[in-house]
Amino acid sequence: MASRKPVLTKRDYFISILRSYYLQNSQNYGNMQGTGVAKTIWPELRKIYKGDEAKFREVASSNVEFYNTNPQPYPFVTSLMLAMYDSGQSEEDVRAMKMALMGPLAGIGDALSQFALAPLFSTIFASLALQGVVYAPIMFFICMFGITFGVRNLMGYLGWKVGTSIIDTLSDRMAALADIASTVGLTVISGLSVSFVKVNLGLKYSAQIKGKTQLVTVQAFLDKIMPYMLPLLLIFFVYWLITKKKWTAYKIILLLLVVGVALSAMGILVP
Amino acid sequence: MTFTIWQALLVGLWAAFCFAGQVWGTYTNRALFISFGVGLILGDLKTAVIFGATAELAFMGFGVGPGGSTPPNPLGPGIVGSILAITMHKLTPAAALTLSYPFAMLVPFIITLIFTINSGSMESARKAIKEGKYRKFNLMSNVTLWEFMLFAFVFGFAATLSTSALRAFVQIIPTWLMNGLTVVGGLLPAVGFALIMSTMLKKEYIPAVVFGYICVAYLKIPVIGLTFVGIAIALNNYYNNKKGSAVNVDSENAGGAEDGI
Repeated sequence: MASRKPVLTKRDYFISILRSYYLQNSQNYGNMQGTGVAKTIWPELRKIYKGDEAKFREVASSNVEFYNTNPQPYPFVTSLMLAMYDSGQSEEDVRAMKMALMGPLAGIGDALSQFALAPLFSTIFASLALQGVVYAPIMFFICMFGITFGVRNLMGYLGWKVGTSIIDTLSDRMAALADIASTVGLTVISGLSVSFVKVNLGLKYSAQIKGKTQLVTVQAFLDKIMPYMLPLLLIFFVYWLITKKKWTAYKIILLLLVVGVALSAMGILVP
Repeated sequence: MTFTIWQALLVGLWAAFCFAGQVWGTYTNRALFISFGVGLILGDLKTAVIFGATAELAFMGFGVGPGGSTPPNPLGPGIVGSILAITMHKLTPAAALTLSYPFAMLVPFIITLIFTINSGSMESARKAIKEGKYRKFNLMSNVTLWEFMLFAFVFGFAATLSTSALRAFVQIIPTWLMNGLTVVGGLLPAVGFALIMSTMLKKEYIPAVVFGYICVAYLKIPVIGLTFVGIAIALNNYYNNKKGSAVNVDSENAGGAEDGI
């Protein structure tokens, strides 16, 4: 294993973290984010292989190969790769690390950003917006961008600092973090889902109450038994279609569209 | 209400910027955020944001589609739905949402098309590096981004300019169907919520789900309060699990150290 004197500074690593936003600029079905990987570490590779153009071309072009992960924790990969290249470790080793990280980081990144942070903040700020807070969208963006920018920097720092051996404990810790975020997210989502899904029965019946005939809505009756009963049932039904029947979103939307319009035309459901 | 060509240009640019967030991972391509800009440009922030929030909740689960599939995209309702809501105040946010669904379904087809067209770019990008044509590589490495932004610009621009056509179309919809569309708009968020649950829900999270329901349905706790309840449950889980599995963690660490030697 050839060794060499590292040339990259903290600033170089920070630039590669900023360039991680370029990762999907050339996303396609051929190599997914592959071209983006080469792009994100381009200036640093130029610096490492300064004066050896042939070597630069070899390393850069080899990084165009297939790659697909979550862009938020991705700086971990670039920092680690750059640290390894910069200290003169073999390209096979770097490639092995890069490929080994692809799956776990995608899992951690999806759990944290797409399944926990995004739904959590989107429910919170959408409900604020519905209450008339017009700047809620900006707050949503600031929260999401701020937190994910922090995640990228942290991951870039960790990739640079800890190298390879610590990835197991790191993913443990990230899993605990994702677990907390998921719990908070699900509490908020489940609470708000029932009040945002609207299923109103239009059915009425007349009943004799204390000798007088009164019109009673079935909806009011159901609300007495259990608030939001119908929205709850609808969500469970759709959940069942997705998980057990493997229906796609398109099919379910079509079903709700047809059934909703039909039931509304019959007067069973009202806006 | 008709809009000027400048407003159409601005909506186009805003759409391009927001849609680029899908590539960058910056969360600008969300219905809530897109509607905000459209409302600002077209002069009715309040209506746009309320519509955006409605669409955001319905689309929350999309974008997390199971690997490889391209789910309905919030760019559709974010642009078209906001315009509909702003120009026709008699339209409820729910009805505007339902009417903009076809556009949400159009966008994934364009995305798939762009990804497919660019499939061959890997070989030419590699060749460009090997031949030292770095400028060409730079061009290739941004191709999806430019195509996304171009599409979103045209989409936003065209949607704003065809407002009167959109309105004429909506006005021929009979009342019974309009009511039906509003009903459907109320049902559709169930898809978003169920989708997100299908990816997140595990047995150990069921208490959190029940707590969330109780807090809103019976206790009427506002959303920020709900977040604190969630944090309390999460921390409780975290510390109690830690106690239970401490022995396992230790033995795992010991194994790792031995392997290292």
